[in-house]
Parts: sequence; C-alpha cells; structure tokens
Amino acid sequence: MKLREIAYARSGDKSDTSNICVFPFRDDDYPILLREVTAERVAALFGSLVRGSVSRYEIPNNVGLNFVLAEALGGGVSLTLRADPHGKSFQSLLLDLDIESDS
Amino acid sequence: MSASSITIGCGSAYAGDRLEPAVDLSRSGRVKYMGFDCLAERTLALAQMRRLADPTKGHDERISALVPLVAEFTAGGGRVIGNFGAANPAAAVDEFVDGLRTAGRTGVKVAMIEGDDVLSAIMADATELPELGSTAALMGSSIVSAHAYIGAEPIVAALEQDADLVVGGRLADPSLFVGPICHELGWDLNDWQRVGEATLVGHLLECGVHSTGGNFEDPPYRVVPDPWNLGFPMAEVSSDGAVVTKLPGTGGAVDIRTARTQIYYEIHDPSRYLTPDVTADFTQVSIEETAPDVIHVGGARGLAQPSMLKVLVGVNMGFKGTGEISYGGPGCIDRARRAEEILRHRLEALGSDIVDFRIDLQGWNSLFGDAYRPADDVAEVRLRLAVQTRTREAAAAAVYEVEYLYFGPAGGGGVVTNVAPHIAVTPAYLPRERVSLNVELVTT
Repeated sequence: MKLREIAYARSGDKSDTSNICVFPFRDDDYPILLREVTAERVAALFGSLVRGSVSRYEIPNNVGLNFVLAEALGGGVSLTLRADPHGKSFQSLLLDLDIESDS
Repeated sequence: MSASSITIGCGSAYAGDRLEPAVDLSRSGRVKYMGFDCLAERTLALAQMRRLADPTKGHDERISALVPLVAEFTAGGGRVIGNFGAANPAAAVDEFVDGLRTAGRTGVKVAMIEGDDVLSAIMADATELPELGSTAALMGSSIVSAHAYIGAEPIVAALEQDADLVVGGRLADPSLFVGPICHELGWDLNDWQRVGEATLVGHLLECGVHSTGGNFEDPPYRVVPDPWNLGFPMAEVSSDGAVVTKLPGTGGAVDIRTARTQIYYEIHDPSRYLTPDVTADFTQVSIEETAPDVIHVGGARGLAQPSMLKVLVGVNMGFKGTGEISYGGPGCIDRARRAEEILRHRLEALGSDIVDFRIDLQGWNSLFGDAYRPADDVAEVRLRLAVQTRTREAAAAAVYEVEYLYFGPAGGGGVVTNVAPHIAVTPAYLPRERVSLNVELVTT
C-alpha cells in the first residue's frame, strides 16, 4: 500500500534544505512509520532530487517523523531554476512511498 | 503588574497575504495583540532592490491598505507588531504615521526598530557564505542586502514604552509573538523555558492559515470545511500553555492534525529549533482537542539562545527568464522533447551570457524528475524553460526562443514568457554582539 493511505505530511524550505514531517492518521500506526519510512528509503525515493544527506528525527510524543533533506532544492529556494523552488510538492512524493502494513 | 493571560492573533504570514481575515480578527474583540509577518526569505532582497531604485521604497506594499485596521484596532486598545519595514523600516513608519494622521488618529505611539541591516558588518568581517562556497568580501558588489534575524528584545522594549504599533525590519517570525507574550505575562527573556513556550505559540501563529487548514488538504484523505474562507489563527496564552483557535464562521480546521503539520514545519532537529530568542525543544509538545476547532498546546521547552544570529544575504545573480509552451494529444511528449532539442541548440548559440538553464515538461517531470512516473501516457504537457543569464538582453533572447517554438513541432500553443532580476538569498551567521539595535518612538 501507499504511505498516503495511512499518513499525512507537510514539506517546508530553508535555503537549500527541505524538511518533510509525516504523521499517521491513527496513532496506533506509528510503529509502521518507524519501520517502513526510513531515511534510506526516503533517500532512494527522492533519488537525484536530493544531492545531500537525508536525516530522520523521531517525535514519539506526536507520533511524527521529521525528514531533513540537505541540498534538496536545486541550490536554494531563491537560486534554483526548478518549477517548484520551495519543494512544496515534496510531501506528495513522500506519501507515494510503498509500505508494508501489519495486516 | 503582569497579566495572567494574553490574547494574540495572526494578521499576516507573508507579504502577499489576504487582508480580510486580519480585519475580521481585529474587529472580533477576541485579541488584544496582532502580529504581522510580512517576509519570506526572498522578500527582503527584492525589497532592497526596490529601495536601491527609490530610497523612499523597500517596505511592505500593503501599509496604506492596513492603516484603517491599525487605526481602528489601536483605538480599541489593541497593539500591533509587524516586520512591515522589510528593507526600509523608516519608510514604513513614515507611511503609517502619515496615514494614521490623515485618518484623524492622533496620539498613536509608533515604534521603529532598526539595526537588522548588517551589510557593512558582513563585508568588514568577510563573513562566510557556506552555501555559495564563498565569502561576503569575495562576492563584493554583487551582494545587495544582508539582514540579521532579530528577536523579541527590542519588541519588548518598544511595548514597555507603550508603543501601540511596533515596526521592524527582519524581526524573526516567531519573535513577533514572543515579544508581546513575554511582555504581557512578565516573562523574562532569559527564562529559556518560558521563551521556548512562547516560541511554540509564535511558530503556530506566524504562518497564518498554515495552522487552520491551509496547505493541508489531500482529498479524500484530508479535507477541511470551506477552504475558500480560511480564518487566521489566534491564541490565549498563560503559564498553563495556549488555547489556539480561529473565529467562528471561518473555514478550515484547528485540530491535532493541522497543529502537528505546522509545529514541525520548517524545523530541522525538533529538539533544537534555533531562533534569535532561544533554542526551542518541541519534542515534548502536547496537543489536545478541547472543543471543535479549539486545541490546547503546551510542553515546549527551551535552552539558551544561539550565540550567532542568522543573516540572509541577497546576491545579485543577474537575470532569470522563464518561458512555457503546451503540447497536447497523441505524441505530445515526443513533440515536447523535439522542442527541447531545438531550444538546446538555440541557447548554445547565445553563448556565455547564459549562466545556467533547465528544461522540464510540466505534467511529466517538472516536480519530481524521474522519481515519480505513474503512467506512460499523458493528455498534455507544458514545456518550461528557466534560464539564468548575465544580462537582461540574454534572458529576453532566451525566452524569445520559446515563443519561436510556435514554429517548431506542430501544435505548440499558449506561450507565456517572463524576465526578471534574479536575486538569490543565502544564509550566513554573525556573532550576536555585531548587531546593535535601536528603538525609536514617534507619536501621531
């Protein structure tokens, strides 16, 4: 299944760094996120869009994960020639991740 | 004596934000303070370009439209804090003062915060520009602006002098709210725990409709009521945390989901969110839905403020041109690819004034490149050229090549082109003591 079926996300920008926070609709699904949505898989999903590292921060209190993608915005919001300079659309690509649910 | 709680709302989240939700909030009787964030990363550099062209410009362009709101809200005892100054706080204050006087509002105390312009400091220090792999000194005259993020301290100083309206330049987004919260509740700006709590509220309010259902919907999974009429967020803050809501009758939603996406928006390590005021820790934040569209938030923590202030440096990178043309129906991708080939040949002939360019097919690969490819066929695509050039003429010549694709592969239509100065904004860091701030009061 797709991550989008059980989770929601928002992406933001700071210069050339993008962050995407993601949360399950049901708190009980947080272990699925922890297991399935790893930094390695996110880096593989974004491929050449992200030139730098992908870091994952866990926020158990709010069942969240925060991904920080370095050198992800084509040189930075104001410098890049990309059509979506802020990476506002990145949240949708993350939610396309294929995941294994528990059932 | 300090109050036990403060009511504060958001009036703006960026330079182009809607006025109506701010007017509604200012007239609601529900808030005593309003914070207006008017700046995004590039806004200041563009404002600086306007100031260079005309020394009376470079401040927020909505001030005359905001004068009636400020006149009415302050007459009722309300107080307004905003980074309306952008690259020219003095011009913003002048326009507010003139407008308020013309409207017959005398006796309004307007505070101006200056000192965020640190261009001479970064040049003297040869400050590093890590994302450009250079220094301010090496970039020389191509640097058009440098503004340090300013915290709550001068805002509190202005409010202590009974300012009704506080106008600054690059006041940091959350600090627009941290200032009034700490002032009204008597929280010491060195009490990192309290400043951390105030910063959580500031972060929830600074992005406006981002806390009420904006940038949120993803049908059928995420839907909010009446997204065409989103309200701005407001909060009542006390030592027990904050109650965040929006006006009844406005669209959108204030709930755990909209709060979570905003609290962790544009944050890197959630245990170390750096602002000029504090190192805030949002890992232990709790959010509780207490009524429809009402949440209670708390649990933020704080550690000592960073010793360095973040600076945004505007760099003149020449010009940027964009041009688009659409292809539809069978074979549209192949025709767009052929158009791309034509463009590459033509741009090569334009020579070294072309610094960089990219060509994408919207509807195919412009957002995610090769990372997302759900189907082999599409109904239409829109070729997009984006080009960075040394001169305006080169940018115009490059986008003319998109227009001339009317005579390229068959059936290309709907050409749109644009040429504009290309200002990059890049981060730098300056020791806090290199920034000296000044608060000045004018009474209308």
